[in-house]
Amino acid sequence: MVVTAPQGAGPTGTATDPAADGATVTAGVPAAQLRDPGAAPVVELRGIKKRFGETEVLHGVDLSVRQGEHVVVFGPSGSGKSTLLRSINLLERPDEGSVRVLGVEYGPAPCAPSERGSPMQLRRQVGMVFQQFHLFPHLTALDNVALGLRRAKRMPRPEAYRQAAAALASVGLLRWAAHFPAQLSGGQQQRVAIARAVSLDPKVMLFDEPTSALDPELVGEVLAAMRKLAESGMTMVIVTHELNFAREIGDFNVFMEQGAVVESGGRGFYDQCSSPRTKQFIGAVL
Amino acid sequence: MILASSAAFNWSVAWQYHGALLAGFGVAMECAALALVISVAVGLVVALGRMSRSPVRFLAALYINLFRGCPIIVSVLWVYFGLSLLLGINFSPLQAGVIALVLLYSAFISEIYRAALEAIHKGQREAGLAIGLHRFQVFLRVVLPQATRIAIPNIGSMFIGMIKDTSVLFTIGLGELIYVTQSAVSNTYQPFVLYTVAAGFYVVAAFILDFLFRLVERVLVKPAKGPLAEWLTGRQTRRAKAIADGVLPIG
Repeated sequence: MVVTAPQGAGPTGTATDPAADGATVTAGVPAAQLRDPGAAPVVELRGIKKRFGETEVLHGVDLSVRQGEHVVVFGPSGSGKSTLLRSINLLERPDEGSVRVLGVEYGPAPCAPSERGSPMQLRRQVGMVFQQFHLFPHLTALDNVALGLRRAKRMPRPEAYRQAAAALASVGLLRWAAHFPAQLSGGQQQRVAIARAVSLDPKVMLFDEPTSALDPELVGEVLAAMRKLAESGMTMVIVTHELNFAREIGDFNVFMEQGAVVESGGRGFYDQCSSPRTKQFIGAVL
Repeated sequence: MILASSAAFNWSVAWQYHGALLAGFGVAMECAALALVISVAVGLVVALGRMSRSPVRFLAALYINLFRGCPIIVSVLWVYFGLSLLLGINFSPLQAGVIALVLLYSAFISEIYRAALEAIHKGQREAGLAIGLHRFQVFLRVVLPQATRIAIPNIGSMFIGMIKDTSVLFTIGLGELIYVTQSAVSNTYQPFVLYTVAAGFYVVAAFILDFLFRLVERVLVKPAKGPLAEWLTGRQTRRAKAIADGVLPIG
């Protein structure tokens, strides 16, 4: 069973005027830049099913992400939210379903050969930030960011270092460019990871519980970096437990449990959701 | 009856033959060094074969178990007398020695590499793929540098073992240290003196190599540990530091 919010709908499923969504914006973070119903979504997942051995963790889930939209996916452990996120850049290969990013098909669903793309092509347009950061420990912060630019984008070295330095500066860590990950705090490492993903100029950024492995004191600096990215208009899909942050930033919010979407909605979702299970979960966290 | 007194031991023969002994040791080191370089390459290939999903992994496992169980003397004689007949090539004692050592030690080194590769967190590969690197680039630039760092201490121990194993190569006529020592003993009848000196060569080599491999370990750790290691790796961080301090423009 699948529930998705139709375009322009409010949190309770009733159709509302798209412009009205803008009225509930929390100060500082603009709503999706383009709410044109005719524009093709940046990411479109249809009927995603995934099995690990005997266990089916996703039972045919749909998700649509529009240009400039910030989508938040939340829910209890084992709900399949990380698996769904990782299906977007094919770190998990769905067993069934369609994964379309910018109009190109990458999933197992049948389509014309001209519309199909390779996983590597996909990952060069989608950036990802992991819960455990996964910085490369044998490289300095600068080299961590520059590796993708030099090897994936084939940029010449001086240009790559220039862009890498700019990316580090944008997360406020230029001073630590020569440091190795072992010399950085968790929050700094995660910000370098964000710089590493963003420097490649992706069309979509994926965040898999980016603050779950951090000390509470360090969570704020990472959220600040994400907020700054959101304000610049980046399309983002975020799996997180930080529901205060999600309430602030989420244009479209999805609550998942046991491999299916329970309920979803636009801004104001956290205060106006209808399903009792959603209310229970949000009540426990917020 | 020869009494174990200093009068019976003529230590001056050690000095008398020092040139020949050194040369012999040089041959042993040359053989072991060649064998090490080739074994590390072959060992890595075999490790990857063992870890692959294709039928190659059975071949790799067979090879590893065969040669881990084989004594070096058997391996040496088999290569020099057997393999050369099979292939119709006449190996020189040095060539046969290197081949025998490579066959034996690649098996051990491949297991060392396999353990090192399996120790790398899956997330490192995922992070590499997520930034758009090709699978091969992920292996070369993300996984292999980290795995090598893990494998180096064990490879160092293997190398010391390899140097000692060159001592069986006198059986096929290689002019390494034991061969020279035997020849000197037959001329001077001073086995205790000469074999003690020979042992001394191996022990000194072990100490020096231990120091060198520990230095390599400290160089590969990020950030490098110790003043010498830091000086050697300065180049990597210097450019990043220059950029960090704003000396190089960002543009």
